[in-house]
Amino acid sequence: MSKDVLVIGGGIAGMQSSLDLADMGAKVHLVEKLPSIGGKMAQLDKTFPTNDCAI
Amino acid sequence: MLDVGRHPNIELLAYSEVEKVEGQAGDFKVAIRRKARYVEEDRCTGCGACAEKCPTVVPDAFNEGLGERRAIYAYFAQGIPSTHTIDADHCRQLNGKKCGICAKTCQAEAINFDQEDRILELDVGAIIIAAGYDVFDPSPIPEYRYQKIANVVTAIEFERLLSASGPTGGHMDRPSDRAVEAEIAALEKKVKKSQKALDKLEGKFGETSAEFHKKFQAGQYKDDEDRRKWADKYAAHLAVTEPLEILKKKAEGFSVAKRLAFIQCVGSRDFRFYPFCSGYCCMHSIKEAMIAHEHEPETTSSIFGMDIRAVGKGFEEYKIRGGNNSNITYVRGRVAEITEGPNNNPIITYEDTRERKVKSQEFDMVVLATACAPIKGIAELAKTVGVELDKYNFVKTSSLSPVDTTTPGIFVCGCAESPMDVPESVAQASSAAERAAEIAFQPGNEKEKAVA
Repeated sequence: MSKDVLVIGGGIAGMQSSLDLADMGAKVHLVEKLPSIGGKMAQLDKTFPTNDCAI
Repeated sequence: MLDVGRHPNIELLAYSEVEKVEGQAGDFKVAIRRKARYVEEDRCTGCGACAEKCPTVVPDAFNEGLGERRAIYAYFAQGIPSTHTIDADHCRQLNGKKCGICAKTCQAEAINFDQEDRILELDVGAIIIAAGYDVFDPSPIPEYRYQKIANVVTAIEFERLLSASGPTGGHMDRPSDRAVEAEIAALEKKVKKSQKALDKLEGKFGETSAEFHKKFQAGQYKDDEDRRKWADKYAAHLAVTEPLEILKKKAEGFSVAKRLAFIQCVGSRDFRFYPFCSGYCCMHSIKEAMIAHEHEPETTSSIFGMDIRAVGKGFEEYKIRGGNNSNITYVRGRVAEITEGPNNNPIITYEDTRERKVKSQEFDMVVLATACAPIKGIAELAKTVGVELDKYNFVKTSSLSPVDTTTPGIFVCGCAESPMDVPESVAQASSAAERAAEIAFQPGNEKEKAVA
C-alpha cells in the first residue's frame, strides 16, 4: 500500500501525472476547478508537430 | 481523458477547489471544496435534455464566447465527468425567478436546487500542482485593436473556429460576418412575428397591407381606430424588413477567411507585459495556418515574427513543410499597427526587416499569438498550498530540480511552472509523478510498499 497523492489541475499535465501515479498503484485525488477535466488542450483542434487530434 | 475518468485508482473531483493544506511531506491534511453543481453527479446521465429546454442563453466559455450555451450545461460535449452543471450566476430559479424547467424535464431526477458546497478532507503524502495557465488578454495593446476590430482574434479563439465541434463547425467564418448573420436571424424572427399579425389583419379586412397602406396614406380611414393600428403595425414591419434586405444583400458577398495573418509575440517578448518567450506560439501559429489550409486549399497565411522559434523534435521540419505545402510565408518584422479597411478587412502595417521597408497589407482575418500568462488565482493557490512563486507568478523551481517547489513534498508540472508546449508538459508531468511516487511509496510507510 502507499500514501495518496493530490493532483491540482485536470489539464494535460495533471491528467498525465494522475495516470502515471495511478498506474504505479497509488491512489490519486484529481481536483479540477472547472466542471470537466481536459484543460486548455481540450480546446485545441489539433496538436503540433503531428497534427493529431487533441481530444 | 476517458482513462482518467475510468481509472480505479483516480478519484475525480471536478468542479472543486483546494481550500486548505496543512502538514508536511508525507503527511498533508487537505480540505477540498466541492462546489455545488445543483445536479446530482451519480444520477445525471448526461443526456442533455435539460440544456435543450433551459431558457437562459449564456456565452460559452469553452468556445471563448464565440458560441452559446444554456444556464444548465455540459462544459463541452466530450467532457469528463459527463455530468451537467447549473451556472448559479445565470440560472433563473437560483436567482429567485420562477423557472425549474430543467427539473421538470430531467427523467433521472438529478436536479437538486438545494445542493450546497461540501468540504472533503483528505490525507495525502504528496501534492502535484498542475494548475495550468491563462491566455494573455491582448486588449491592453492599443496598436492591435483587439475587440475593436472584429476580425482580429486570439489564437485560442481561432482554434475554436477551426474545430469541427466548434461554433462554426470548422468553417473559417469571420466574426464580423457572423455578427451580421446573427443580426439577420434576429430581424427575421421579428419580421415573422409582425408578418403573422399583419396576416391576421389582412384576413379581417380582406385586402393586402400594401394596398391598404396606400389608401390610408391618401387620407382614407382616418377615423377608424383598428385601421390606424394596422397602419402603425405595417410601418413598424417596414422599418424592420428594409434593413433586413440590406443586410441580406451584404451577406451574399460573404465568404470564409482565406487571407490570414498571424502576429507572433503578442504580450510575450514585450517589455510592457511579459519579457519571456512563451515557447509554443510560433509552432501553434504554423499549425493553425496548416489546418486552415487543409480546410480551404486556397488559404494563404503570413506569419509575422521577429524570428520563428521551432525548437523541438521535428519542429523545424514542420515549419519548412508549412512553408512548402501550406502557402505559409514567414515575414521577419514586428507589426506596428492594425487598422480596419473596407469590408471589415484588417490592414497590417509592418516593417519588413529583410527588405528594410515599411509595408502594409490587407487580410481577411488576423490571429494574435497571445502569450502564456500565469493563471488567475495562482497567488491565492500558492498561499493556500504553501509554495513560493517567481517574479512572473509561475511556481518557483530551480534549474537542477525543475519539478520541485520550494516546499518538500509539493511538486509542479506543466504551464504552472513556466510556459511550455504539450510534449514538454507531458514529460514534466511524468517527472513530477515520479517525484511524488518517491514519497507515496517510501519504504517505512506504515503500509507495505507497492510494486509498480
